[in-house]
Amino acid sequence: MNPMDNLELFKKSFREEAREILVDLESALLELNERPGDDDLISRVFRGLHTLKGSGSMFGFDELAAFTHDLENAFDAVRNGRLEATGALIDLTLESLDQIRSLLEENAGNEPASDARRKELLVAVRGWIGTSKKSSTDGEGGEPIMPAEEESLPDGRPLREWRVEFAPGPDLLLNGTNPLLLLRELRQLGGVSLRANLSAVPSLVVLEPERCYVAWEIVLSTGAGLEAIRDVFIFVEDSCALKIEPLDSGTAVSVDVKMPPIKEGQTIPGVRRGQDPGNRATSLRVPAAKLDQLVDLVGELVTVQARLSELAVGRDDPEVTEVAEQVERLAASLRENSMNMRMVPIRATFERFRRLVHDLARDLGKSVELATEGAETELDKAVIECLSDPLMHLIRNSMDHGIERAEVRTAQGKNAKATIRLSARHAGASVLVEVADDGSGIDAEAVRLRAVEKGLVASDAPLDDAQIHALLFQPGFSTAKEVTEVSGRGVGMDVVRKSVESLRGMIDVASTRGRGTTVTLRLPLTLAIIDGLLVCAGGQKFVLPLANTLECIELTRDDVERAGGKHLAVVRGEVIPYIRLREYFGMGSEAPELEQIMVVETEGGPFGFAVDRVLGDCQTVIKNLGRFYRNVHVISGATILGNGSVALILDPERLAQDAVRGTSSRARGHPAARASRDRPVREKALADEKCSRIR
Amino acid sequence: MGITCEKGDVLNTLRLCGAIDIASAEELKAALLETLKPGVEVRIDVREATYFDVTVIQLLWAAAQEARLRGVRFGYAEEFPATLQSALREAGFESLTQPAKLDSSAGETP
Repeated sequence: MNPMDNLELFKKSFREEAREILVDLESALLELNERPGDDDLISRVFRGLHTLKGSGSMFGFDELAAFTHDLENAFDAVRNGRLEATGALIDLTLESLDQIRSLLEENAGNEPASDARRKELLVAVRGWIGTSKKSSTDGEGGEPIMPAEEESLPDGRPLREWRVEFAPGPDLLLNGTNPLLLLRELRQLGGVSLRANLSAVPSLVVLEPERCYVAWEIVLSTGAGLEAIRDVFIFVEDSCALKIEPLDSGTAVSVDVKMPPIKEGQTIPGVRRGQDPGNRATSLRVPAAKLDQLVDLVGELVTVQARLSELAVGRDDPEVTEVAEQVERLAASLRENSMNMRMVPIRATFERFRRLVHDLARDLGKSVELATEGAETELDKAVIECLSDPLMHLIRNSMDHGIERAEVRTAQGKNAKATIRLSARHAGASVLVEVADDGSGIDAEAVRLRAVEKGLVASDAPLDDAQIHALLFQPGFSTAKEVTEVSGRGVGMDVVRKSVESLRGMIDVASTRGRGTTVTLRLPLTLAIIDGLLVCAGGQKFVLPLANTLECIELTRDDVERAGGKHLAVVRGEVIPYIRLREYFGMGSEAPELEQIMVVETEGGPFGFAVDRVLGDCQTVIKNLGRFYRNVHVISGATILGNGSVALILDPERLAQDAVRGTSSRARGHPAARASRDRPVREKALADEKCSRIR
Repeated sequence: MGITCEKGDVLNTLRLCGAIDIASAEELKAALLETLKPGVEVRIDVREATYFDVTVIQLLWAAAQEARLRGVRFGYAEEFPATLQSALREAGFESLTQPAKLDSSAGETP
């Protein structure tokens, strides 16, 4: 690859890393706001800024590096106890991070960052440094004052001489690192005299131009300590030989890092994450598009493997069967591995909202803290990417309309500081992501009245809480002014609904007046491939997600008669409601003598789906049905079977809800029950599916 | 911008313009080897150079050593531009920025 292409790759990689660092910095700053004296947090902020500056400088983001340099100086002063990490400094730093983010994106070809605001921020940051109790800088935020002849710094720290031997590894330059910039950074610590050692440079004929053969011997005169000197080399410690020792005798302080820098089992601070002790990368960045491509290919492989398995069954040849089984095992293993690669913890998404809560609380004059739980929960990256917007709307809503002002809360006997809790946890093949607040809760009556006013429901319509909450997700409820007037929620809730539905997820709202509201998003773990159970009903094949399935029981005609025609099955003394898929989808043929009920776990408890026959498990590559079927919520997609035919993938949760809703609507004498309303669409889906065989 | 070479019977001149770094290192090595011919003096013209990274410095150093081994006169056409000279000095490559010294030593001691 062309070295210029390499540089672009490094820049891209830096941008990605910088975005992560910025998220971490924001979190650390906001935590620091809560715990101003926390040394670990201060160090975390300093290191984050240092990393941004150092890496930025290495990869040619000079403006970004220069801007970050002053922030780093400020937090160096905080680290050394010369400056206090006040709320004002933290706010200033947070805004500066926004500028750094703009610079980063500008370099990626986006809108240019605001020079004027950046200059104002720089002046403000330098002002803070200037107010530090014992500043070691010149008040302009520039280079530290390091008079060569003086034996101590103005703040009383003694000057000390250090001998630094720095021998970059041969591949250092190929990694995009410029050692000359490290030397420049070292000069910022104090007076430097140095000599480049070129004795290892081979003859021109054998010299590999992109390798580094130079080493440096440096004498540094500085008031900075060992850690500060070492920090300069923080990014290259794992790819260089580094020796730092004081020149004055009788002192034991020194560091000697050789390649490989860390012995097995030993931890050295500053070594970049993702490197193991043996200097082998334990993780690497892969463009998301490549992972998507891999999963697509695995999906194709799974489909072909299903055909192979079907062929093997037809041939009845032991050798072919053995090969088909091996391929099946390998495909399953490959599928699991490739899907795991796409799973990412939700932590980064959660952390982004700390800043939102902090800024909104300030703007709205409310006191709110964000608590997170289950941030390590992993979801498919495609799901995570689509989750930011709905979560943002939910949090904004909560802050705007749910949470009361501190004085109101205090008057109600609540803690003046409100809490928004973001949590995530696994539940079968789904992940439940919750946004809960301890605010005023939803005024159901006000929402109902508003819905009547907008013509969304009849004034005498009997609505339960779930139906009232569902109204909040109507587009008509999405303007802030109107929703604020009804004191309910709803700003952007239609956006939330659309986003969650696009992920084949579900939303549940629970609210108690005066106690708060919890919005739960039930999202699929993955959008690509699942383990399914293939069943047959009325001559059609369906897939039920295996993760939801509890057991399979038999249903005889006697059982049906014993239940008096009611769709209830008794399993070990427990009564389980069920529906017949052939009836639900309006397939007219007669049910067989012996049916089977697949019992699945749903939010409302176990629920059964009676089918003609269970055909077995299958790896199910989920294919979207397209926009035309987007309102058929009970079907989450389709898959291609081994014989090339198409099977619909059922969403058991929605199917059960729809069936229960249909039953209760009929019981209340509402003929326009949703199940009935959906029937023509469901039948159309089946009719079209019959025509769409793929060979 | 870049690397250009003027070849002659008695003098080969390699002109380095602008910022030269790892992206041009392979090209520079090839050009240096091409210019190092017995009996032909090599002049490196750095008057319009603005930046060298470590790869360039290593190559120029190795070329000077190679020239000495081959008995080829090797040196710089003019003094280094002040900014480049200063940057190289700061990085500990002071000897490289002294063309007279290099020039006189190169070629005289095979």
